[in-house]
Amino acid sequence: MIYVENLRKEFKKTVKEPGLKGSIKSLFYPKSEKVVAVKDISFEVPEGEVLGFIGPNGAGKSTVIKMLTGILTPTSGVCTINGRNPRENRKSYVKEIGVVFGQRTQLWWDLPLRETYGVLKEIYEVPEDKYKKRMAFLNEVLDLESFITSPVRTLSLGQRMRADIAASLIHSPKVLFLDEPTIGLDVVVKDNIRNAIEYINKEEKTTVVLTTHDLADIELLAKRIVMIDKGSNVFDGSISELKNRYGQIRELHFDTDTKNAEKILSYGQHFNFEPEDLSVECEGSQMKVRFNSSVVPVSEMLSYTLGKISVNDISVKDADIEEIIRRLYKQGVE
Amino acid sequence: MRKKLRIYVPFINAGMQETTTYRVNWLFYMFGNVLGCFISYFIWNAVYNSSENSTMNGFTMPQMIVYIFLMFLTSTLVSSGGTYDIGEEIRDGSIAMRLIKPISYNATFLFQELGNKAMTICILIVPMVVGVEIVRFNFTGAVQFNILYFLLYLVSCVLAYLINFFFNICFGFIAFVIKYLWGANLMKNCIVGFLSGQTIPLAFMPEVLEKVFLILPFASLNYTPVMIYIGMYNGTTLLYFLGLQVFWALFFWGLSKLLWSVSVKYLAVQGG
Amino acid sequence: MKLLRRMFRMHRIFVVQELKRMTEYKSDFIIGIIGFLLAQLTNLLFIWIIFSQIPSLLGWSISQIVFIYGFSLIPKGIDHLLFDNLWSIGYFIVRKGDFDKYLTRPINTLFHIMVEKFQLDALGELIMGVALICVTLPIVGIEWSIAKILLALAVIPFATLIYVGIKTATAAIAFWTKRSGNIIYMFYMVNDFAKYPATIYNNFVKNIITYIIPFAFTAFYPAKYILTGENPLFNIGMTVIMSVILMFIGVVIWNKGINAYESAGS
Repeated sequence: MIYVENLRKEFKKTVKEPGLKGSIKSLFYPKSEKVVAVKDISFEVPEGEVLGFIGPNGAGKSTVIKMLTGILTPTSGVCTINGRNPRENRKSYVKEIGVVFGQRTQLWWDLPLRETYGVLKEIYEVPEDKYKKRMAFLNEVLDLESFITSPVRTLSLGQRMRADIAASLIHSPKVLFLDEPTIGLDVVVKDNIRNAIEYINKEEKTTVVLTTHDLADIELLAKRIVMIDKGSNVFDGSISELKNRYGQIRELHFDTDTKNAEKILSYGQHFNFEPEDLSVECEGSQMKVRFNSSVVPVSEMLSYTLGKISVNDISVKDADIEEIIRRLYKQGVE
Repeated sequence: MRKKLRIYVPFINAGMQETTTYRVNWLFYMFGNVLGCFISYFIWNAVYNSSENSTMNGFTMPQMIVYIFLMFLTSTLVSSGGTYDIGEEIRDGSIAMRLIKPISYNATFLFQELGNKAMTICILIVPMVVGVEIVRFNFTGAVQFNILYFLLYLVSCVLAYLINFFFNICFGFIAFVIKYLWGANLMKNCIVGFLSGQTIPLAFMPEVLEKVFLILPFASLNYTPVMIYIGMYNGTTLLYFLGLQVFWALFFWGLSKLLWSVSVKYLAVQGG
Repeated sequence: MKLLRRMFRMHRIFVVQELKRMTEYKSDFIIGIIGFLLAQLTNLLFIWIIFSQIPSLLGWSISQIVFIYGFSLIPKGIDHLLFDNLWSIGYFIVRKGDFDKYLTRPINTLFHIMVEKFQLDALGELIMGVALICVTLPIVGIEWSIAKILLALAVIPFATLIYVGIKTATAAIAFWTKRSGNIIYMFYMVNDFAKYPATIYNNFVKNIITYIIPFAFTAFYPAKYILTGENPLFNIGMTVIMSVILMFIGVVIWNKGINAYESAGS
């Protein structure tokens, strides 16, 4: 369905030396340098899949999405949807995609929401009967009824996001791009929006590409993750694969009466952990030990701990995906 | 005093950075305005050629040319963009933020604009003055440059800028009443342009109108400095018009203070 | 043909949307119209004051000058009324990255931008233009023929196209420089030259406004033909040719610009 190969994008950036001297200098000798926003990205998305597209800030996510939606022209490489290239026939290409940028709106600001849909209907040439059915469907999924007659500028952020998602779906696109669809929303609204995306994906087999910083979005919606950093692929696989590969992190939670337990245990010295493989948090009698189970197996940690101090209650947990990704981002930055 | 002024240095810097960032745009804008001057030049050229008199309302042809270009220089030097900024802030409510900051809004804006202008002054003033003097030399065969008039011109420009600055701030408060500042600003610019002698020297107006227009604050914006430069005002007349400028500068400064305090009260009632 | 019908349909829909928007901000639009009327009025006062000094300007009478001036406001006003949104490309749509949404829609971007806004302020210019023509027509003594009436009407859309072409080309520069509002502004200052008879300028300026930035064809040359009946081949024919060339250049630059568009943010 979506096919991306060796995608690359370079920008030109004007450089200016600091201070007044720099300002005057750049007035007469403007200098520019090449910035590589996307170095080399490849991935494929089969029909009907929800892909989580993630990476730290500045990794090049938005640039990739903008190339896929036909906004930016790639410097080199290929990106196609159903074999179509956005550069060759933009109009028929964009008819098959829907785009939502969480920080921007495509709604007409001063007009009642309904008017936006009316105009989009014309732009996408949706026939009247199909449009009616579509609006009924979208209304059911995203619950637009209560604010469809209000001017867009008076909508709350959550309402606006629902309205924007509906706007991107009015022409029943085969692929939906969602860039930060839950940014700045409260928990309940986030939940509603996730449910709606899931429902549309299931009902209509819409392929979804989702970029987000809220990893709960990914965990609840995406079966597969593509992670990029500094413009290159870092990981491509399912969430369970991610957990297997990077998820040897375990958390030991226990409650102890022993004083100075942290000092007595001294995991770091005893097991020779590298600093990034171990973290210990202590809150009163509660202790939380996060460690890499490929360095020291869980059983060994348990027997060592129980042998050293008296423990009331102990449990072992898998690290959550957020923790894994946090570690990956950190490694990427180093 | 020095310490007090130092907190505004970043604003001057920011203003200068702004202009240099969009330097190409700035050059085009200036060039566009220079083109406007040339239209006036050609029209007046045709007018003097079609006329039997070499002097019209006290202006000879070279004086008129000098007038046109000095008018452009002066109006660029004394221009001020406060209306939009203050209007925008009133509209989106961020003006409330101004009230909790420990420095004066007028002053920050003034210094930022001065930074903005620094480049205009550096790039424009020397070539314009040299050009004007060449034109005068060409027509009269003698050097006409008078350092005293030039210095008085600069003083008059500073006064004119202050009048314009505070006038524009006052006008910006209209945003409390009118949402669409663009249209209102256009009207203002037309009226100011006409009454300040930008379109045509006030000496060309019917005598009664001329007398009235000269007293209005708009003449103090552009007309007075230009008339001083070309030596049309002397002795007591000159002092009278400089005094009038001081009066209008103080007037609009006071008015802007008043409007600020009124709007603070208004905002307090409205709750931002 | 089908495409053309669709374009008209889209245009109508956007105009209706804009009219709905205007009913929400009525006073604003009235202020805008008055603003533009006033701007024209000060220009007229200028002409009137000048003519109180001289009997005629290089052979042009005041009524002829005012006629040319009035005629210049018609294509300018139409351009302003229908295609004003190109200014926003130059000032902020590209810089803020708001152009993204136009690229994700299955409709020509230039067309979409042009028809999206409808600038009622332009009525200030149009009303004034029509009024000036009506007032001066009986005085300037034009010999009318059917051909002349037809040509005079037919030339107006082409004269408008000169504005649109120049504005498209200059606005599209923003795709490379992020901001081109002041470049548009500079070119628009040139259009002020066109409000007066080209004969008052020296050859250099005359050639520029005739062949390089041909604003003289938006007003002076067509108006001259209407006034004198001279040389329709040049005065009207060249207007048509120039408008087509400029529109072509505008579209080419626009399409190249879209490929260079860099959006905003990361």
